[in-house]
Amino acid sequence: MTEPVLSVRDLRVEFATRRGILKAIDGISFDIAEGEVLGVVGESGAGKSVTGSAVIGLIEPPGRIAGGEIRLAGERIDNLSPQAMRHIRGKRIGMIFQDPLTSLNPLYRVGDQLTETIRTHLDLSPRQARERAIELLAEVGIPAPEKRIDGYPHEFSGGMRQRVVIALALCAEPDLVIADEPTTALDVSVQAQIIALIKRLCAERGTAVMLVTHDMGVIAETADRVAVMYAGRIAEIGPVADVVKHPLHPYARGLMGAIPSLETDADRLVQIPGAMPRLSAIPPGCAFNPRCDRTFARCRLDRPEPIVPAAPADAGHRVACHLYDSAEAEALP
Amino acid sequence: MTEKPLVEIRDLKRTFDVSKPWLNRVIEGAPKQFLKAVDGITFDIRRGETFALVGESGSGKSTVARMVVGLLPASGGEVIIDGVPIADTSRAAEVRRLRRRIQMIFQDPYASLNPRWRVERIIAEPIRALRLAESEREVADRVGELLSLVGLHPADGRKYPHEFSGGQRQRIAIARALASKAEFIVCDEPTSALDVSVQAQILNLMRDLQDRFGLTYLFISHNLAVVRHMASRIGVMYLGRIVEIADGKTLFARPRHPYTRMLLNAVPDIAMTGRMREAVKGEIPNPINPPSGCTFHPRCPFVFDRCRREAPPLEEGVACHAVREGRPVAA
Ligand SMILES: Nc1ncnc2c1ncn2[C@@H]1O[C@H](COP(=O)(O)OP(=O)(O)OP(=O)(O)O)[C@@H](O)[C@H]1O
Ligand SMILES: Nc1ncnc2c1ncn2[C@@H]1O[C@H](COP(=O)(O)OP(=O)(O)OP(=O)(O)O)[C@@H](O)[C@H]1O
Ligand code: SF4
Ligand SMILES: [Mg+2]
Ligand SMILES: [Mg+2]
Repeated sequence: MTEPVLSVRDLRVEFATRRGILKAIDGISFDIAEGEVLGVVGESGAGKSVTGSAVIGLIEPPGRIAGGEIRLAGERIDNLSPQAMRHIRGKRIGMIFQDPLTSLNPLYRVGDQLTETIRTHLDLSPRQARERAIELLAEVGIPAPEKRIDGYPHEFSGGMRQRVVIALALCAEPDLVIADEPTTALDVSVQAQIIALIKRLCAERGTAVMLVTHDMGVIAETADRVAVMYAGRIAEIGPVADVVKHPLHPYARGLMGAIPSLETDADRLVQIPGAMPRLSAIPPGCAFNPRCDRTFARCRLDRPEPIVPAAPADAGHRVACHLYDSAEAEALP
Repeated sequence: MTEKPLVEIRDLKRTFDVSKPWLNRVIEGAPKQFLKAVDGITFDIRRGETFALVGESGSGKSTVARMVVGLLPASGGEVIIDGVPIADTSRAAEVRRLRRRIQMIFQDPYASLNPRWRVERIIAEPIRALRLAESEREVADRVGELLSLVGLHPADGRKYPHEFSGGQRQRIAIARALASKAEFIVCDEPTSALDVSVQAQILNLMRDLQDRFGLTYLFISHNLAVVRHMASRIGVMYLGRIVEIADGKTLFARPRHPYTRMLLNAVPDIAMTGRMREAVKGEIPNPINPPSGCTFHPRCPFVFDRCRREAPPLEEGVACHAVREGRPVAA
């Protein structure tokens, strides 16, 4: 069996605050294979971005990785020195964030930023690097790249800037790309173009992608598998068709039902009562139990671990909910 | 007899002066530059309905909203609410009475709530200003009622805005809008900053309140699925103009304008029906130098020579030469 590009095992991330230690990520495990897109969804504050930051080694004090392992193509990267990590970032792991302006320096021409990054990671002459940059801009769909390469970021529209950031993330041909809300700030029309682009590049180059987004439509279209996060844990993970169309975890069910759709009519949207607990006040047992309409005694005592659901499901499907434990199978609908 | 619409928007326009400073213009010999953010739009909103405006960023939705509530003067045209033109200075008293029946809810509720006031004071302010209560006791009761109505606890009135989550703050903004007994609420991207699950709570609340109090909404969003869920009628904006108006069901079942089709096609398919998205061409052009004729023509797959010369008027709900001439516009 081939090694997954990214393998995360029992990851824990904590923030030390005045009120005590906050467990932002509390034991999560997942893999991403070559050429695979893993979508990550969940409520604001669930820990999606922190997970991405942990993988790229950007958790800063008062935060720290408190446990678990992160492996890139089999090698551990969670315990590397900042120096070694800086080399992996950009070279083997590319990053795309929501606001393209955070990744682009407004004072530098787009071309200079690209060639500089290319030359940091690949052994090329300035001329070769510039040619490579033009190729990349063409590849991400920037018209007349040989002219646009000398423009400044502000001369590009929002969608074009995000394309430049994608070019920048890809310029060292990374094995893994972490994209945190890459299309949230863009219009639907532009969003469609960016998603198509990420998908195509991933297929052509075999890049593994972790795609964090609020937009379930984007996930449904782009991801192969999806992880639903809640309060620092993975509530459900599995093939996108299973999780989006037939979610099992009560939180995932609520989340999918809350989305207004273009295809179906609903007078009311499914509403999950209440709000996600603060990290400082996570209830014992299942973190979702106060909002769940299926809670039973065990939910308030035991923290559910991800299990292969008793109901027929794909081999890669896991759900962290006591309802799906075979011992509780009679409680199933 | 059909009832008179509550809101009538007639040929509404707004131009912004985006010229460089005077000195630069003199030195560089640059001309004055204007941006037509809203370029002559006309529509009605009936009592008790939700009329939505959709369109890409920069199409002019927020500018329309600000003119409708009177936060921004129009450069041309009229906003008539319940028969009264809101810019009519000869009817100042009537306009003032009208104003309190109109409220606005913004995308970022935090920016519109005074951070130094307790929530009870924020909600009580319109009640006091408009003398809607006889005594302080009655004010307090009303605030408690309003908080319960939007799903918060009366005791939450003692807290400050920063102590609430984004969704709860949006509830406070809604409670404040209702405090003045508003009948018409302009909502500019009310849930765009919220999670889908919180969004569902707010959209359900807005619909419940509409059923209960007969509220009329002008609802602005770039999220087509949200608009479909909320609106009875929808206007699609492109570069300051309305290119198509239709009732919600019709617009989604049978979009007519090529731009509407493009927008609908660009929405990710959550049902995973296998529908392929059409590749979208290009981006919104520079509004300072809009294309000639139909401003959509550089992106339109059905463009022909007339489109480059003449701007198509909005007739029978659609502004497109190809549709008017009965040319094929289906992919
Ligand atoms: N520097 C920090 N100090 C303390 N807590 C933090 C810090 N950074 C993040 N957190 C906490 O970690 C949790 C997870 O945050 P994260 O940014 O990963 O959420 P998210 O799922 O990406 O949410 P969103 O959808 O809003 O981006 C949150 O509760 C957040 O408050
Ligand atoms: N005060 C202003 N001065 C100059 N230009 C302005 C001003 N306000 C808006 N504009 C311009 O008017 C156009 C319409 O802006 P508006 O905010 O109404 O768009 P919108 O449809 O609400 O977009 P979004 O979806 O991004 O909120 C844009 O090109 C914008 O840059
Ligand atoms: S008028 Fe012409 S360019 Fe404009 S939308 Fe219709 S066919 Fe396309
Ligand atoms: Mg985040
Ligand atoms: Mg706006």
